[in-house]
Amino acid sequence: MIWLTWRQHRPQILLTAAFLAALGLLLLGSAVEARLYLAEHAPPGCPGAATACGDLAVGLAERYDAVYSVFGWMPLVLPALIGAFWGAPLLGREYERGTHRLAWTQSVPPWRWLAVKLAVLGGAVVAGGLVLSLMVSLWRPVFRDGIDSAFGNIGVFNMVGVAPAAWWLYAFALGTLAGAVFRRTLPAMALVVAGVAATMFALFALSDHYAEPVRAELTGAVVLDDPDARLVRAAWVEPSGAEVAGPAAAACPRRVDTGRSGRNTDAWHACLFAEGYRFAVYYHPPARFWRFQWTEAAILLTASVAFGGLAARRVLRRAGG
Amino acid sequence: MTPVLETTGLGVRHRRAWALRDCSLALPRGRVAALVGPNGAGKTTLMHAVVGLLRPATGSVTARGRVAFMAQDKPLYDGFTVAEMLAFGRRTNPGWDGEAAASRLAALGIPPGRKVGRLSGGQQAQVALTLALARRPGLLVLDEPLANLDPLARHDVMRAIMAEVAERELTVLLSSHVVSDLVDTCDWLVVLNGGRVQVSGDIEDLLAGHLVLNGPVELADGVAAGTRVVAAGRAGRRATLLVRGGPVADPRWTSRHPGLEELVMAYLRSPESAALPRPAGVGG
Repeated sequence: MIWLTWRQHRPQILLTAAFLAALGLLLLGSAVEARLYLAEHAPPGCPGAATACGDLAVGLAERYDAVYSVFGWMPLVLPALIGAFWGAPLLGREYERGTHRLAWTQSVPPWRWLAVKLAVLGGAVVAGGLVLSLMVSLWRPVFRDGIDSAFGNIGVFNMVGVAPAAWWLYAFALGTLAGAVFRRTLPAMALVVAGVAATMFALFALSDHYAEPVRAELTGAVVLDDPDARLVRAAWVEPSGAEVAGPAAAACPRRVDTGRSGRNTDAWHACLFAEGYRFAVYYHPPARFWRFQWTEAAILLTASVAFGGLAARRVLRRAGG
Repeated sequence: MTPVLETTGLGVRHRRAWALRDCSLALPRGRVAALVGPNGAGKTTLMHAVVGLLRPATGSVTARGRVAFMAQDKPLYDGFTVAEMLAFGRRTNPGWDGEAAASRLAALGIPPGRKVGRLSGGQQAQVALTLALARRPGLLVLDEPLANLDPLARHDVMRAIMAEVAERELTVLLSSHVVSDLVDTCDWLVVLNGGRVQVSGDIEDLLAGHLVLNGPVELADGVAAGTRVVAAGRAGRRATLLVRGGPVADPRWTSRHPGLEELVMAYLRSPESAALPRPAGVGG
């Protein structure tokens, strides 16, 4: 059965492995080149706060952005591809070609056929996701150490930790179920792409509620100084201590900015702070990285198990030939 | 002798309509049974219920011994080589007779390295049949094994099945909507019509038990009253009756035994007729 799984899904497995290998080489090359650049150009005391370090930081950022632009699409596209090419054909292709009548009438019972396929391919998908995560996690600090963690940017967040493995598994399970429902590969592929995208946006919106946000009151600024935090919402706090949606119009005059200037808004903020207003910010600090990673993984894993169970039910109920 | 295959009150529902209803039949060991009926009669549904691809809504299916199935259109993995197809069989079936399978395909001149998708239709049918036979089944279920094959390939496939039956104790249930394909090879007949079993029995007994009567049309009603008429027709002043039972004494009537195709057609044209063995008649 393991041989059969390997033989039938060889192209996907090899292609995914080749892609990960190529990506690994790219990241390795990029990291080595950046290290060499640092070793050659770094003035003593850098990286650090000295002005001489600025050029170095810009050089590093350019290198980071060049590579990041190559795989900025990966958090969304890779799960979609996994779902479309690993999940959708698993049952969709068998039904479409009629080969399920061959596969499920051998001595090996259909439940075992499905269990081995789900276990082997699901395991491979999880392993692939973890490899991706590991490679990105090793590569990023070369450029971003001390600048940000992988919490604030949702795209980066979904490429490190256990997130890629969870997303890949989710997409695989969704594709498998779609193949079982449509009994054809192509519609199942379309559904998986749409489904992964929809889930990603839904979970992005939901992630604000993974934990109770931390509240901070700012005086003198309306921007949190930690760029890595995830802002949930913000509000003005009146001198009395009451939180309001907007400060009373009488407190400070507000004039509309023209063009790209933020002068009038800045003046308005300064006036409000002078009047005793404070700015309350609700946010998730980067320290919640693993909490959010595991919460998201648990949601995706639960959904994957449910999808796999539904697909198995459709296979084993044996309605229609 | 216990039947190899027995169905009792079998019913299968597709969505809201019944694809099979109250199907009871018994297939004795060693028989080559033809399952015939028009398209949509439920032949494939019955076979799927027999091999476990469908779970019946009512009744039961009992198959004694290992069952091997060749589905309609002979599904195979197109991207596999012939050798890989055999490896598939070996790895999904304990008791796999790989030697027999390999020598069978070698004798047919089918190269093991060739991709299945590049074989001719006849060769694919042979590979599919080999996969089924290498499992050493007691009951071989073949869904339209001859469909989409040229006459030569039909003959070859049929001969391969008969050779296997002659060699060892094998019971075969094969479906076809072309009765003439089955005349020389099958010895048991099951007619399925509208989801119900209309005829089930030994072909020789069935043919011997039916008569085609030909006589004056004005006497037809009188004759019909004395026998069980399966189908009746008239041409001018003459009436033709296909009846179940004995000959008519009146010399104005001629009688002869029907051919298999004639018998099947007569039953298919009159779905209300049935020729089923009484419970005691099962076997033989």
